[in-house]
Amino acid sequence: MTRTLKLLRRVLRGPASRRRILAGPAAVMALGVAAFAFMAVTGTAAQGANAPVSTNASDIAAGEQLFAAHCQSCHGVNGVGGTNGSPELIDAGAAAADFYITTGRMPLNATNNQALRHHSYFNATQTRDLVAYIADLPAINSAHPLPRVGEEAFNPTSPGIPTVAPLCTGPGTPSGCVTLSDGQRYYSLNCAQCHQAAGAGGMLSKGDIVPSLHNASLTQVAEAMRVGPSPMPVFGTGQLSAKQVSAIAQYVQYLHNPNNRGGLGISHFGPIAEGFVGIVIGFGVLMLASRLIGNRG
Amino acid sequence: MSTTEERLAAEKRMKYERVGLDAVDDRLGSSGFIQKALDKIFPDHWSFMVGEIAMYCFVVLLITGVYLALYYVPSAADVVYHPTPGHGYMPLAGQHMSEAYQSVLNISFNVRAGLVMRQMHHWAAVVFMAAIAFHLCRIFFTGAFRRPRETNWVIGLLLLLSVMLEGFSGYSLPDDLLSGTGLRVVFSIVESIPFIGTWLAFDLWGSQFPGSSLIPRLFVVHEFLFPLAIIGLLTAHLMLIWRQKHTDFPGPGKTETNIRGSRLWPQYAIKSGALLMIIFGVLGALGGLFQINAIWLYGPYNPYTVSAGAQPDWYVGWLDGSVRLWPHWEFRSFGHEIANPFFPGVLVPGIVFTIMFAWPQIDRLIYKDHVAHNLLDRPRDKPFRTAVGVGALAFFTDLTFASGTDLLGNDLHMPFERLIEILQYGVFVAPLVAGAIAYKTCQALQRTDAHPIMKPVGGILIRTADGAYHTLGDEHGAHGDHDGHGHAVDDHDGNGHAAAHDDDGNGSADGNGHAAEEVDEPAAGAAISGPDPSGS
Ligand code: HEC
Ligand code: HEC
Ligand code: HEM
Repeated sequence: MTRTLKLLRRVLRGPASRRRILAGPAAVMALGVAAFAFMAVTGTAAQGANAPVSTNASDIAAGEQLFAAHCQSCHGVNGVGGTNGSPELIDAGAAAADFYITTGRMPLNATNNQALRHHSYFNATQTRDLVAYIADLPAINSAHPLPRVGEEAFNPTSPGIPTVAPLCTGPGTPSGCVTLSDGQRYYSLNCAQCHQAAGAGGMLSKGDIVPSLHNASLTQVAEAMRVGPSPMPVFGTGQLSAKQVSAIAQYVQYLHNPNNRGGLGISHFGPIAEGFVGIVIGFGVLMLASRLIGNRG
Repeated sequence: MSTTEERLAAEKRMKYERVGLDAVDDRLGSSGFIQKALDKIFPDHWSFMVGEIAMYCFVVLLITGVYLALYYVPSAADVVYHPTPGHGYMPLAGQHMSEAYQSVLNISFNVRAGLVMRQMHHWAAVVFMAAIAFHLCRIFFTGAFRRPRETNWVIGLLLLLSVMLEGFSGYSLPDDLLSGTGLRVVFSIVESIPFIGTWLAFDLWGSQFPGSSLIPRLFVVHEFLFPLAIIGLLTAHLMLIWRQKHTDFPGPGKTETNIRGSRLWPQYAIKSGALLMIIFGVLGALGGLFQINAIWLYGPYNPYTVSAGAQPDWYVGWLDGSVRLWPHWEFRSFGHEIANPFFPGVLVPGIVFTIMFAWPQIDRLIYKDHVAHNLLDRPRDKPFRTAVGVGALAFFTDLTFASGTDLLGNDLHMPFERLIEILQYGVFVAPLVAGAIAYKTCQALQRTDAHPIMKPVGGILIRTADGAYHTLGDEHGAHGDHDGHGHAVDDHDGNGHAAAHDDDGNGSADGNGHAAEEVDEPAAGAAISGPDPSGS
């Protein structure tokens, strides 16, 4: 559904001539989307609640100062975006802000770098303030409208910070809990093709790296799905329900320290790593042995 | 030097042997053969034992394989997995999977010693192929494939092929995500064969991919077909070695018509037995300490799921690499398109194996050498052959790297496309460069006569008639004199052979642990004087 919205926005924002040609179909599509949205909202089980984001004016003010010092050079005044390829943040939402700040992706060093995980630059309070400020950007911008400069947010539905349901551990666990088995199933369906079955990471085209998932916290995994840190796609509420997101996040957490029956887990990296160990350690020792035994008469 | 005790011990041993042989002879009348067999001579060079590493890995594979076969269920039928906590893998509870995958989960989690057996089996396969590859290199670089051993070269390659296919069919049995992905690739490659491809693929799989007949069929292939083929080929291989006797490096007292080394009984049997135990130990340690193919993390195979970094086992990696590197060219003629995977998946390995099978003939043409040989070449003395071998290794290495491009790219932070491009050039450049370096190195080594990796150990101290001493090991620049000093010298440091004897104080090459044997190969003597009938 979010994809459809994204498409719709792009179409509607196109040049005037295109807009006129597309007006009719767009109207029809809007109707369809509205109907679909209605069904999606009423048809699925209760959506997971989002974690609260501070709406405290002093937090927002503190966040504004941090933003001016560390982010504005790229993301522009009031987050309208920059001409250097930095996206606007008005519609980015609290999940994106929290994810990008806590994984240390922002502030970025250079805009041509892929934003990857680093040590987080801000402490918990600063993070709370910045997130509060970015979550408040739609209000700020409607009060003081400025032209948007940067590309639009990856997920312009401004997702909030998702909360992750607990694992079902036995009889007595709260209702709404999720299982690792569901997590495994949705993970191998949606994520393993890029992040590898055991979360070891991989490679996309044009030099984009798919990071390993072994450092991402429960919340960060859930945020990543909702935000879709480019070049990763957005998994909106139409694709994965809140419960499915929780199950995947819990499974990724399990992959940090999976059942390593059978010894050292080199096989998380697949057969190439195994071959290396087999040849160097296994065959290497046997060669040494035959070297020691073999030349004796 | 032999001492009195050693001699007495040898006499005592022979007494026991004779009693044993008499006992056999009374019943079977076969002690002549057994006596001959026990006295068979095996050369004392360590590289000759690598073939044995391969053989013993096979033994481990048979033993562990039988255990696994007791619990494996060759069925693609859909089941729902119901583990109980502590007995099974909970994160897959309630999932649909094939019965085959479920049985491998059971082997890993419920069957006593099941997982260690599984892991030993897989590690043994990995080490087996490494040993075969090394063994093949020894045969190639030392010219052991030359007349009269061309047949054994061919049998050896058939063994290599069988073991590769056996390994791949084994990798496909658990029906996890990796197995299924590998089979999907193979299905497409089979389909790409012109004219017969689609029929062949549907015949093998019994239906469209993935179908339900392949798993039981693979089980038959993995359990009976290839193991029997390997046992048969191995028997032929060893019988031929028995008949033709071993080759050996040139050395003191070694000629084209004799062979020196240890008798099968007791020296060689003890060496070989020690190696067998070490192999069981090493494979057991690998199986117990290092995880291999954690199928529970890959999950059951569904045709609509795939994992990044899916690769085959290392010895199939070069074929995967070949498919990854092949450009997206299209070939059309007479209105038919030859599907792209045919070239890297069928043609490339076809050409590679044809050259390998034909190598004894090619080598014969290159060196115009039609004579039978029982003494090996030193690799440096045949620079061209060595260069070809090193080039081939570079080629295989490049393709194997290509099979790991996603991991490499992630580690090196290098764009995938760049990596592929580099490796595509590498297919041509790496063998040429590596071959040229090998060629030059051979020539340089010929000039200095030093051992390429080992520094000379020990040496021979000579006292000349007028009382002067000098060591032969470190005599630089006096290579022309080798014959004058007797050829003992150049081979002692040439292959590190005498060094070991000197170290353990066992005395000269004629010490009592050694024996010499005539090679009763008619071809050997005859061919040296006469031209080969098949020659040009
Ligand atoms: C060097 C320029 C630069 C600086 C400084 C910078 N950013 Fe960014 N930011 C970018 C670029 C470029 C992207 C797009 C990243 C990508 O492709 O993954 C981005 C993306 C983001 C996003 C995700 C947008 C979305 O649509 O989901 C957020 C949130 C964000 N930045 C927040 C911040 C914050 C907060 C700071 C200050 C602490 C900051 N950035 C500093 C360049 C910058
Ligand atoms: C098309 C490939 C692709 C798919 C599918 C995908 N991801 Fe990603 N993912 C990426 C890439 C690329 C990044 C790095 C993003 C960046 O540069 O900021 C990433 C980043 C992440 C991160 C941040 C990791 C960190 O430690 O910084 C998490 C968490 C994550 N993905 C989870 C998921 C989950 C869960 C799924 C399945 C629902 C998924 N991804 C599906 C490509 C993918
Ligand atoms: C299943 C795999 C194999 C096993 C178990 C095996 C085993 C052996 C053993 C035990 C020997 C005697 C010891 C030695 O000379 O090293 C031998 C010799 C030999 N092998 Fe293999 N081998 C295998 C594969 C191959 C392959 C792939 C080739 C070559 C293509 C090959 C070619 C030869 C040749 C030509 C000899 C005779 C060499 C000589 O006498 O010096 N073998 N093999």
